[in-house]
Amino acid sequence: MPPAAGFATKRLGKELQKIHNSLPPGIDLVSAENFEEWFLDIRVLDSNPLYKDQTYRLKFKFSSSYPIEPPEVVFVKLPDRPIPIHPHIYSNGIICLDLLGQQGWSPVQNVESVCMSLQSMLTGNTKDERPPGDEDFVRANRLRPKDIDFFYHDNNV
Amino acid sequence: MSSKAVLLKEDGNRHFHSGDYVSAEALYSKAIIADPTNPSLYTNRAMARLKMNLWESAIADCNECLKLSPDNMKAHYYLAQAHLELHDYYDAVEYALRAYDLCVKTADKSLSAATALVLRCKKERWEHQDKQRRRETRDLEDEVLAMMERERDAALRGEEEEDVNALGDAGGARTEIEQEWERKMERMRTVFDKARAAEEKRRKVPDWAIDDISFGFMHDPVITKTGKSYERSSIMEHLRRSNTDPLTREPLYISELRPNLDLKQACDEFLQENGWAVDW
Repeated sequence: MPPAAGFATKRLGKELQKIHNSLPPGIDLVSAENFEEWFLDIRVLDSNPLYKDQTYRLKFKFSSSYPIEPPEVVFVKLPDRPIPIHPHIYSNGIICLDLLGQQGWSPVQNVESVCMSLQSMLTGNTKDERPPGDEDFVRANRLRPKDIDFFYHDNNV
Repeated sequence: MSSKAVLLKEDGNRHFHSGDYVSAEALYSKAIIADPTNPSLYTNRAMARLKMNLWESAIADCNECLKLSPDNMKAHYYLAQAHLELHDYYDAVEYALRAYDLCVKTADKSLSAATALVLRCKKERWEHQDKQRRRETRDLEDEVLAMMERERDAALRGEEEEDVNALGDAGGARTEIEQEWERKMERMRTVFDKARAAEEKRRKVPDWAIDDISFGFMHDPVITKTGKSYERSSIMEHLRRSNTDPLTREPLYISELRPNLDLKQACDEFLQENGWAVDW
């Protein structure tokens, strides 16, 4: 039984209102033309050489069960928006973060808090590498990000 | 229920779902003739009549249903909707609250919808009161200004009478009186305008009244073991999916939720004065 109709729309409307008022530094709204798909840009604020002077584009996809169900969040590649290098980010933009998984998600999380978590996930990283098996995964994976059963072996990264 | 009534009802439901409310209403009517003792036939017809904007006859159906089944949630829900359309805001709020309580008591799946209905009724009641207050304030302003004009005119007449008796700088005194009253009336208008502007400016919803899951204004906050409160319908939705505390991810069960009565009262009181907060 999904939540009452309009639950997601109402909540996203209010999130958008807040986002238009203010966003933390390094996070910018690119577009939110409906309540299904939003794009945001994030930047790392410190001088981590892996991400210095780069901006990354995030795509949020919301189901009608948001925020009871997590949004689908991936990095998207554009000429001026690379996929950040990170041991938990596949080169096709899929992110392995427990916060975004079925188990780790909590409905008190929101678009802003997810962006901030990703910012700090990048800030804290020192490894210039992709997840193990990146090439195979990117070639073979046909699952939606939320259906992938990631093994969160290291929550500190 | 007689099998004939069952068939008519099912046929009615089919028409209702395809958007043919007129046929659905007619079929429910036939079903009621076949079996006048089934409460759900009345609420189904009420639902069709609401779609047809037949508020009064929808209310009649709900009342018939309540005679047969006094704790029927749907009847209260539709009564609230119909009364809202008829601008009977006070009845609408009462019926919506009753529908909400019945949802909680019977763990009905319509809890989110009932929460939204309660808030909508309260908001519309407030808007109605607010309009009334504004009208009264404007009337009062007009009345006070008219009184001041009368006072001014009386003062001017008194000055004219004095002029007849005594020679002097009559014109100057007249202008002085006129100017003095003009100043007073201007100040009066400013005071009223300021009061209206101040009311607009106060429009900020306090964070404590906002549910962190739906981001909506809270109607029935319940508190978890960690001391954080959520709207009952929101946390129920979450717990149906995952028995975890949203903040700590520790195990949390529906049976562990407790009403937060003080916060509920604070929210109620805030909403009484600030009905706009429903759509902040």
